[in-house]
Amino acid sequence: MFGNNRLPAFHPGLTQSRIRDTTTGSGLWFPGLRSPPLPSESDPANDQLPLPITQEDLYDTPMAPFNPYTYIRCPCSELNPYTKRTPDVTAQGLSRAAQDDDDHTFDPRAARSNYSLYPLEYLSFCEDCHQIRCPRCVAEEIVCYYCPNCLFEVPSSNIRSEGSRCTRSCFQCPICTGPLAVNHVETPPDPNQLLSPDHASSSHSGSYILSCSYCNWSSTEIGIKFDKPNSIHMQLAKLRNGGETRLTAKERKERRKEQASQGAGGGSSTGQGEEDLDTLLDMETQFANLKSFYQNQLSDANGTGKVGGDPSAALGNLGFDAPASLSRIMSLYTGSSSLHDKKSKSRPGTMREALAPSEGLQLASLDESSAITALQDFESTTGLDAYSSTASTTQLQSQAPYLGASPLHGLTRFTSSLRPIPYLLRTKRSKRCPQCRHIISKPESKVTTTRFRIRLIAGNYIPTITIKQLIIPGLTPPPMPNLPPDTIEPLKPAQFVLTFKNPIFESVRVTLATPATTPGRFPAKVTILCPQFEIDSNTDVWEEALKDNNATSSSSQSQNLSSSTGPEGSGPGGRKRAGTLRPGTAGGASLAGEELGPEVGKVWERGRNWTSIVIEVIPASLVQTAKRDGRGPIKEDEDVLEIPMFVRIEWEAEAPEDEIMPGLSSAKGGNKDGGKEKRELAYWCVLGLGRVARTL
Amino acid sequence: MSSATPSPVPSSAHGHHKRHSILPAVSQSGPKPPVQFSSSCTIADSALLTGPHTIIVSTESVIHPRARLESLGGRVTVGRRCIVHERACLGAADLQGRYHKGSPDKEGRSMGAVTLGDYVTVEVGAQVESGGTVIGEGTTVGIGTRVGAGAVVGKHCTLTANSTVAAGEVIPDYTVIYSNGLRRIDKRGVSDLKNKAQARQIDVLRRMIPSNPGKFQ
Repeated sequence: MFGNNRLPAFHPGLTQSRIRDTTTGSGLWFPGLRSPPLPSESDPANDQLPLPITQEDLYDTPMAPFNPYTYIRCPCSELNPYTKRTPDVTAQGLSRAAQDDDDHTFDPRAARSNYSLYPLEYLSFCEDCHQIRCPRCVAEEIVCYYCPNCLFEVPSSNIRSEGSRCTRSCFQCPICTGPLAVNHVETPPDPNQLLSPDHASSSHSGSYILSCSYCNWSSTEIGIKFDKPNSIHMQLAKLRNGGETRLTAKERKERRKEQASQGAGGGSSTGQGEEDLDTLLDMETQFANLKSFYQNQLSDANGTGKVGGDPSAALGNLGFDAPASLSRIMSLYTGSSSLHDKKSKSRPGTMREALAPSEGLQLASLDESSAITALQDFESTTGLDAYSSTASTTQLQSQAPYLGASPLHGLTRFTSSLRPIPYLLRTKRSKRCPQCRHIISKPESKVTTTRFRIRLIAGNYIPTITIKQLIIPGLTPPPMPNLPPDTIEPLKPAQFVLTFKNPIFESVRVTLATPATTPGRFPAKVTILCPQFEIDSNTDVWEEALKDNNATSSSSQSQNLSSSTGPEGSGPGGRKRAGTLRPGTAGGASLAGEELGPEVGKVWERGRNWTSIVIEVIPASLVQTAKRDGRGPIKEDEDVLEIPMFVRIEWEAEAPEDEIMPGLSSAKGGNKDGGKEKRELAYWCVLGLGRVARTL
Repeated sequence: MSSATPSPVPSSAHGHHKRHSILPAVSQSGPKPPVQFSSSCTIADSALLTGPHTIIVSTESVIHPRARLESLGGRVTVGRRCIVHERACLGAADLQGRYHKGSPDKEGRSMGAVTLGDYVTVEVGAQVESGGTVIGEGTTVGIGTRVGAGAVVGKHCTLTANSTVAAGEVIPDYTVIYSNGLRRIDKRGVSDLKNKAQARQIDVLRRMIPSNPGKFQ
């Protein structure tokens, strides 16, 4: 989004399992990375209890460490966010995942929800709508086009005429797609050739070649050399593989004009009958021949008279196809004159098809014996290894369309027919909110700067959630031995600390809600110990340092004092601290002997701009549930514990000044704080906590 | 004698702004191997030579600082005009930590741990395992490449960065190993040019790397 190479590869909807945690310790990916089903699952007749399970039994490839994640759902995936819809109306009818009704909760495992979940780094925020925008719902506009190799900005008018590839000297190796460099070769002069009077040789004797520094390919392998080290694209268009020259469109037009002016008018028609029908035409030549042929036919068919001649020629250039339609349209304009109608009807418009290659005819050679012998005798004729000389599918697909190739013949699958690939141009794009058309992100139009003029990302507006497992030395029971790391034991309560970090300069009040059991095949019981809490505003670091110096840990008076004297107050109202307490302070009922553990209704910890709370999960047992419900073995990533959570954020922001009626806002406000607007934002998110161990 | 400080006598080019590496000081540990150095070879002071077998470095070859030559599996032979870069290891153990001995050839002589032909370049961090491994003339062993024990790499090959040659594999001449183990034949015909360029590079390196062969003899 902001430079694709900065964010890790995340493709929503690519697979059902979003957790493509494919890195092992060595950094390589093994095809068998996912955990296989247990041996007892694959044999349904086997009802015996499995033997005591060790880690080697459970996972025969080393399990990748699981990193807890948070994915946020963009509201654009709701079908109709303004009216409630019944499930029958939805097209799929598979699951009610996308709906935001109060009765229906969000199912992160539904196939549809996979397309709407994004990590926080991928989301932007529209300031006018106060809503999250994901890469799927933003509207993109192109700011500029540039070549990724030479960083040359290409004006958009050139894109239409010359295509979307670089037309300078930037090429990719056809074998390995690495960048090609222009190298100078000094060819020792051939003594035989020096003696002969004419140096005309079929292979172009130039002194520059393209070479790949990675796979050591060079353009001499396809027989192409260049005269000049710059404007390679132009020189390459005139060369075929093997060094034969080829005429470009402009040169062909000039030659045709010369022939038309030199040759007699009648001589050309007699010469057609003797033309060789088997000459191979490349794509560009064939198209040009056909086009000029049809244009001639159109102008001939519609008469050579003045009236019929000029308009039809002009219209023929516009591309009207049949003479019948042409005469019909002409009769609309000149319908009153019956004389003209008779003229146009009497000439039905004799058009014929092309009969010779000069007119654009290309016969398909049904005798493919030459191509077959070329394939069969490749090794004996060329002495090269046939397998390594065959171009792979990826190599063939990455080739740019080549106008010098003959479409019916001459398309071989050998690497000797591959050509250097001009680089595809890239774009810098600006993004707009689809509803209010406000610009969300706009990069600089200068290609080399990576800054942005406008950049509204969700990370600056929405609290960040980080997850960590809570292990208290005295209280948490020790895990089972031989348990793989980062796994959660089934049927035992596990506690996690969620840390919410507030990026904005106002204090926010957060309300969390989650279904009592997670949706899916293996429901886990979830309890949020503190569903409503406040996070302080994101003020300066110096504020916190002053606060620590002045105050003890539990007094709040000095906090107010320091906040009022601080350079940046959190707002005229100061901080609101209703309903939140620190652990262990007096004021909440703390059970004797449990002062260290997490308590219901209290935050776990808080800091300058963050608050931590605790949630408790009790995962279901995987193996026994899989045996009982008969839905087959545990699929990939079905053992991951994912919690859908509904987050509602409320904060107070400065009310915008009404310029038309300056007194209106103060009259509307009526708050004691004076002109403050209450805002709220709500969204679903998914917390991935960890994998459930397959011990039970 | 066994713990050497990593500061060779600075040449006049360095002056007083010499920056010391943050890596810990290399120390020569283990048995000091018997060596046969040519008079024109360049061995950096902080190169590491260990092992009970002989280590041979031929004419005009360059061993960079912190390069390792281990003769624990057998004799290590470096050909003429070779360059062994930093942190490369000739005669390394395999991934399980074993030093292969190498089966003897047809005449019954021992193959030695590692044999480098002439004009070979072993790039930074490459690991050439012991056990009769032969690197042909003019080959470039790329950065971070691992050549398995007993592999025979042909002449003028190019092993690109982070590639692997399996143990015992035979690579034909002029092969390029690139991408994820893909192979192709190099048809540029620039072997002579490469050798000349290597000779020029060795000229420069001999002036830049202070040689201290006496330390190992």
